[in-house]
Amino acid sequence: MLVAGVDVGAATAKTVILGDGRILGHAVNPVGYDIKSAADETSREALRKAGLSPSTKNFDYVVSTGYARESIEFADKTVSEIICHARGVHYLIPSARFIIDMGGQDSKAIEIGEEGNIVDFVMNDKCAAGTGRFLEVMAHILHVASMDAMGPLALGSKEPCPISSTCTVFAETEVVVLRARGKDRKDLIAGVHKAVASRVAVMAANLACRPVAVFTGGVAKNAGVKKYLEEEFKTEFLVPEEPQITGALGAALIAQAQLLRK
Amino acid sequence: MGSYYDGLFSLCGFEHEEIEKERPRIEASFEKLGIGPGDMEAACSRVSRYHDVSLEGVRKLLGAWLKELIDLVLAREDGRKIVYFGFPAILGPGLMLCASSEHVFVSAPDMVLDHTMGQIFNKLGPILEAGEANGLPPGHALCSLWQAKIGGIAKGMIPVPDLALASSYYCDMGSKADDLVTALYGVPIAYIDGIMDSEWGEYPGYLPERVHYLGAQINKAMEKAEKVLGIKIAPDAWQRSRKNSQPFRDNLARLTEVMKADPVPVGLAELELLEALSGSSTGRGIQEGIKAMNILIHELEGRVEAGLGIMEKGAPRIMVRLGHTSDPAVTRLYEDAGLAVPLTYILASRGGVAVKPRGNYGTPGEIIAEYEMTGGYYHGTEAQIRLYEKAAELMKLDGFVAQYLYNCRPVATISHIQKKYLEEKTGLPVLSLEIDNFDSRAYSADSLRTKVETFAEMLRAKKGR
Repeated sequence: MLVAGVDVGAATAKTVILGDGRILGHAVNPVGYDIKSAADETSREALRKAGLSPSTKNFDYVVSTGYARESIEFADKTVSEIICHARGVHYLIPSARFIIDMGGQDSKAIEIGEEGNIVDFVMNDKCAAGTGRFLEVMAHILHVASMDAMGPLALGSKEPCPISSTCTVFAETEVVVLRARGKDRKDLIAGVHKAVASRVAVMAANLACRPVAVFTGGVAKNAGVKKYLEEEFKTEFLVPEEPQITGALGAALIAQAQLLRK
Repeated sequence: MGSYYDGLFSLCGFEHEEIEKERPRIEASFEKLGIGPGDMEAACSRVSRYHDVSLEGVRKLLGAWLKELIDLVLAREDGRKIVYFGFPAILGPGLMLCASSEHVFVSAPDMVLDHTMGQIFNKLGPILEAGEANGLPPGHALCSLWQAKIGGIAKGMIPVPDLALASSYYCDMGSKADDLVTALYGVPIAYIDGIMDSEWGEYPGYLPERVHYLGAQINKAMEKAEKVLGIKIAPDAWQRSRKNSQPFRDNLARLTEVMKADPVPVGLAELELLEALSGSSTGRGIQEGIKAMNILIHELEGRVEAGLGIMEKGAPRIMVRLGHTSDPAVTRLYEDAGLAVPLTYILASRGGVAVKPRGNYGTPGEIIAEYEMTGGYYHGTEAQIRLYEKAAELMKLDGFVAQYLYNCRPVATISHIQKKYLEEKTGLPVLSLEIDNFDSRAYSADSLRTKVETFAEMLRAKKGR
């Protein structure tokens, strides 16, 4: 029995393959213009990594998730990414009760129950503040190679510079002005990270952040955001070894359950 | 001899004779609206896709909106005195004006444009942009209904009114936006001042002082309307207008009964069409709406008797405050996610759980004011939450979607309080959903789908489905 979960988000496509209940392979690739090709190529890469023939026809069942879930032609079912993240995190860390997932264009806070069921959730609305996109914009104007590379620099700051704007575009202006005033780069970067964590904390204010808390999504690779999230929520966040694939993993688990139900 | 629009009008419940009779008016209004042969295929496809046109009542409802649009666009040519009010507004004063003179046309033009130029023709965007270019740019913290009204006037689609009836007792932004209509077009305003705040625990009671004050404001506005329009309000205008619109209210109660069925017999897009009509039209639209509703409810009773519905039996049942006025794709989102929507706010407050007026007041303004007080809408947050709580029991709900629009002060905070209290009081999950019920440019169906689908899955899991 070979099943797959395919998660196509704003920035990356992720595929996880399960065989007889075990993770056989996974792959993560940037999403270019052609979403369908990205999903197809990522799935074939995951198959290759699993030592299997790289054809999506080999799958017995596929669940797609992410904002482009409806576009994946080889998927048998679509499921929202919030459900998939909850399911994936529960599989990896059964004691998890709270998740912050920060992706390219959205961020989510999810309360989960003992069975991995969703108790409550919130997701950002039309605002990019508190997402990976916000950090990418800031990395660009602060001349740091990537969003991930900003994390260690943020950790080196002694006095994070407050960033008060809640809008990505206005925050960019604010950072440009502060840069012109000669503020320390590390302090500015730390301020940006603190601002992201603060936006997410405000969004999730009405949920119960109970341990064990887990941080997933592409932004979870950034140690600076993790640090400031822990400060905001006053709790430790665990980061799975591959924090980007929890949605695809959850989708694969749902695919497996669907197939068993048949 | 037919014309390019006959197919659309047939789809919208017009009989052949009606089209023939209406033809010159259809063509005159379409010319002003910029609607031509190239718009018909998309409009027919949109209507068929998003509305349950297998029901004659739904087709007739769409037709009622089109008739209201034609009357609105041609009101000046028809030689009528024109009064605009904002949505949501008390309908009583408008109904009284109409009952006093057949030469007066009273309507909510923003809602008419939303339901026709938006829902049917998908051509609302340029109207909103015209509103933005005429004093209501994005970010001005006013909902798009005002952009639609001012944009429609600016583009010459709808006439400049003779009077604006501004009521601030529900939405205090309306009177501010009407100031702009005065500044731009010199339109006089009759203000109906009031407040919706009340003590927690007051509802379903209400202080007589509030009724007296709101009633006095309505009476004052009517005096101004008499002067501006040059008419005399008939002594029995209120009684006659109530009699004319009573079937609509009776039908809302019948509809509530029908919607108790599982599976639900009709969707939110259809509920929205008829509820919005009841708060937007005082003329032909409402009268045609009553006829359409009679047909629709009869059809729905048939569906219920046959055990038929639009969702699976046992689908999670939710209450949604309001459907989308201009984009039915957003309205359909809940049902696409597998949720049944048997109840909305208007249906609950007017057809379901509202309290009865006590009838202790003498002037028309006070009678109207008291009627409005009974619905709970013109009270504070707690009254609305209590109404929702009763609705959960009435309709055997499994959850609520507490929608809010960031630039709508009456609902923006309520939804968050609603989530906290309703979850505590009913034990049912509440999705607090930021959505714009009037303008889908920033909140498309795609941007909302993940949240609604996740909520649906939560409810299904809770029901063990």
